[in-house]
Amino acid sequence: MTLFVQQLANGLALGGIYCLAAIGLTLVFGVLGFPNLAHGALYMLGAYLTFFFLTDFGLPYVVAILAAAVVLALLGVVLERLVFHPLRNKPHTHHMIATVGVMFFLVALVQEIWGTGFLRMESPVDGQVSVLGAQVSWQRIIIIVTAVAVLLLLTWFLKRSPHGQAIEAIEQDRIGAALVGINPSMVSMVTFAVSLALVAIAAGLVAPINLLSPGMGDALGLTVFAIIILGGLGSLPGAIVGGFAIAIAEVMASTYISVAAGEAAIFVILIAVLAIKPTGIFGAVAQR
Amino acid sequence: MTNRLTTRTYRTVAALAGVGMLAAVAACGGSGDSDGGTIVIGYSAGLSGGAAEYGVNVQNGLKMAIDEANEAGVEIDGTTYTVELESLDDQYQPGTTGTNVQRLVEKEGAAVVFIPHAGGIKAAQELNSGRTEFLIGAYSSDPAILDSGNELTVMIPPSFDSYVQPFIDKVMTKPNAKLGLMATSSEFGQEWTKATIEKWEAAGGEVLAKNNIDYGTVSDFAGPVAKTLAGKPDVILVGGPSQPTALLIEEAREQGFDGAFLIIDQAKFEELEEFTDPENLNNSVGIMPLPLYEGTEQFIADYQEKFSSDKPVNADIALNYQALPIFLEAMKIAKSVDDPKAIRDAMPEAVKAVEGVFFVPDSITDKGHLQAKGLQAAYRNAQGEYEPFDIEQPQE
Amino acid sequence: MTTALSPRALGVALVALALLLAPVAFSEQQYLLRVVTTAAIYAIAAYGLNIILGLTGQLSLAHGAFFGLGAYTVGLLTTDYDWSFWTSFLVAIVGTTVLGYVSGLIALRTQGAYFAIFTMALGFLVFITITRWESLTHAHSGVSGVKYPESIGPIDFSEPATMYYFVLLFLAGVVYTTHALLRSNAGRSLVAIRTSEDLAKSIGVNVAVNKQLAFTASATIAGLAGALFASLNGFIGPDSAGIDRTFEMLLFLLIGGLGTVMGPLLGSLLVAFLFEMLQDLETYRFIVLGPIIVLLVIFAPRGLVGYLNDLVPARFRRTDTTLSAEPLPAGSTTTNDEVL
Repeated sequence: MTLFVQQLANGLALGGIYCLAAIGLTLVFGVLGFPNLAHGALYMLGAYLTFFFLTDFGLPYVVAILAAAVVLALLGVVLERLVFHPLRNKPHTHHMIATVGVMFFLVALVQEIWGTGFLRMESPVDGQVSVLGAQVSWQRIIIIVTAVAVLLLLTWFLKRSPHGQAIEAIEQDRIGAALVGINPSMVSMVTFAVSLALVAIAAGLVAPINLLSPGMGDALGLTVFAIIILGGLGSLPGAIVGGFAIAIAEVMASTYISVAAGEAAIFVILIAVLAIKPTGIFGAVAQR
Repeated sequence: MTNRLTTRTYRTVAALAGVGMLAAVAACGGSGDSDGGTIVIGYSAGLSGGAAEYGVNVQNGLKMAIDEANEAGVEIDGTTYTVELESLDDQYQPGTTGTNVQRLVEKEGAAVVFIPHAGGIKAAQELNSGRTEFLIGAYSSDPAILDSGNELTVMIPPSFDSYVQPFIDKVMTKPNAKLGLMATSSEFGQEWTKATIEKWEAAGGEVLAKNNIDYGTVSDFAGPVAKTLAGKPDVILVGGPSQPTALLIEEAREQGFDGAFLIIDQAKFEELEEFTDPENLNNSVGIMPLPLYEGTEQFIADYQEKFSSDKPVNADIALNYQALPIFLEAMKIAKSVDDPKAIRDAMPEAVKAVEGVFFVPDSITDKGHLQAKGLQAAYRNAQGEYEPFDIEQPQE
Repeated sequence: MTTALSPRALGVALVALALLLAPVAFSEQQYLLRVVTTAAIYAIAAYGLNIILGLTGQLSLAHGAFFGLGAYTVGLLTTDYDWSFWTSFLVAIVGTTVLGYVSGLIALRTQGAYFAIFTMALGFLVFITITRWESLTHAHSGVSGVKYPESIGPIDFSEPATMYYFVLLFLAGVVYTTHALLRSNAGRSLVAIRTSEDLAKSIGVNVAVNKQLAFTASATIAGLAGALFASLNGFIGPDSAGIDRTFEMLLFLLIGGLGTVMGPLLGSLLVAFLFEMLQDLETYRFIVLGPIIVLLVIFAPRGLVGYLNDLVPARFRRTDTTLSAEPLPAGSTTTNDEVL
């Protein structure tokens, strides 16, 4: 029972990270129609930036995360202008390949700046609490709470703010949105900014319990793709449910079956779901 | 129409610019061929991507030795040579190591190639029989690299086989003690795990489920640690690159583990201390930190000054640093810089003539393993003090 | 068209001649021959990807996995089971064909980005199986001592040049297949599917069957390339089945030209050359390579061959017709099926 509670807490914390990263990815897909393969690399960059602001600038933890989020949001706008805007009328394969180029670049750049070794970011809040006999560290509780808060904030943004509503409108009907005067370029930029800010927050949250290395985004990238496909591309509830479901499945499979089962769990689930419902759990129509 | 023409011109210019850029890069990248007065030492390792730190450490060790050799002057059979280190990145992918090695040997003219990972060494051994011949400076403690019977392989570090039994003797405090398995899932980690399981069971202990995880990719150790601890182990086998190992140890302590850690030789105490509260490391056994060996202070200081680094200097660096001069000495004795067989044949004599930092080799086995006396390991006790103890090496 | 054909034919002849003479040119530098042989093997695999992605328009990210399956079949059979290369080679080809067919049945139920990521998951499962099923695959230890093809009469395949020509034979085979396919009804059906599945359906193309065949063929070719790779290298590790392989092949295709006959070959050779040159830059090479990829996608989306194809007819037209002749639409990947 203790083991179960322990692993549930671990699964929830991991789920929070997955959710934040997956939502950013699914938003870009919903609006622009292609999966951003550089998402894992951007996550990695977010972690390094948080580390940089925290240790080199001495900013407090929360401020450092926010600063990293702002920098990445700006980077999102730049990327949209420089890379994806010129490609807007090209097939989506081209976008995907361009994101691979961005990924190569970012990983190599981080390696040049911060070196190839692992970096350790000190946890701002040490210690753990005992929950039903299990030892849960404060950092994990912070992750879960922050993830939920950010998700609520994001929902408010998408439903209530003009920019957010424009994003939703474009997701639902691109031509219709253009007809009512929504500027697609503007929406693309905002979407990239929000997506990258979210992934930076995810990275900043996970950095204290994780090691920073230029390759840290690789594993996350694969998992997050599985999540958004599972939930249905472009679906927000899909990303949230998928994020937590996959994280808990991963942790539980590795606990009660084997570590290899944990690694494979995500992909087995994904293949099983898509074999039955090719557009994912929440996906309504096949995207082109 | 003008518009269309403009687009075309634009695209042509862009394409030309692209090609020009490639050409420029290619021109910059071109390297000079080795001329008469140069000895090229090849090196292929992971220099980018995950775990590149290790590749860079070994590279620095070699660089330092080469710079010192050049300063002292290298004279072989009446000719003065400059030694050069030619490094290529293989990201630890054995297939790439194969291509790199061929390039180093055939294009750069290297007669000796250092490779610090077992997979790459095995791939190089595949090439190293037949027309392409070169001497492999093999830095891996996996004894399997000598099993293939490749005559041109020189194994530099002590075999990890030497450590397993003494480590178990240190931490197995009662019969039936339970061993948890959490070493990294790389080839090297798996080999260590296999050897430890065998000897642990032979000593009457109980072995729990295998929870080997990939230290490089697993993002959160909490899950696997909780699972391992649920088996109530008395000792846990851990180890991979030092930094993730430190994190895993910390996680286990936080979750309440108070037993002993048996740390594989890839992780180094002096680096673990940097990444976690050293108290977490109490009650662990691992290889001896380099600074605890006598006479290493000067080397450590020199290294840190040369590379303006404040990172710990470990055995990987020192062992490669002191291995390189043996190869140069063998060239001198063999009076040849390009005959790998002759160089290898001169090794038994060369090894006696070369000094080093610690654990200095004094002989080489027929299979090609450098042998030295005085191997030690360390147990970090409950007070955080290191208790060195001697490791007896099996005779080969 | 006849006038436009000659520069193309000349180009193809030059490339073929260069490839045939490579062992002579590199007789002093075996390693360069090895680089070219490896590039040729990757080119074969890239032709496989070209069929499913270039012609049919489906981005399969499982391609590296099929490559790895071919490599491991030959690797394990010739070492642990001591089979001859030739039998193992046959088993590898048949095996990847069957696996390709079966996974195609499920994978092709999905479309677009779902298909891309579904196949990525498939590829990852293969990778996990290889790294975790230690008793069969030796996991991270890899397989060493993979056999060269056994000699046939006087032909000794452990000679680098012989091995090179052996690989070249298969390369010529896939180039010809692609060429023939583009001119066949089957090839036109695939291109129709790439343009629009609904449109293809409306003109009577059986979309499901054609996609299934294209996917299977691409898996077979990848498996074949993998099998050759294992034999050439003598050593294979799990990295030969990784997602990085897929990305590499994608890069070759993109640089060479998607959906063209010569594109995969030129792309593979060019990138192999580039990687070789950039070796000395160590990590900086990715800082250079990343932007190059982005620039290529933006400015030369149809790759080297697509770009050359654009230039050739344009120049010919400029001399014999007026400037107002309709040039090929820029940036389109769908209309230009009659290309090199």
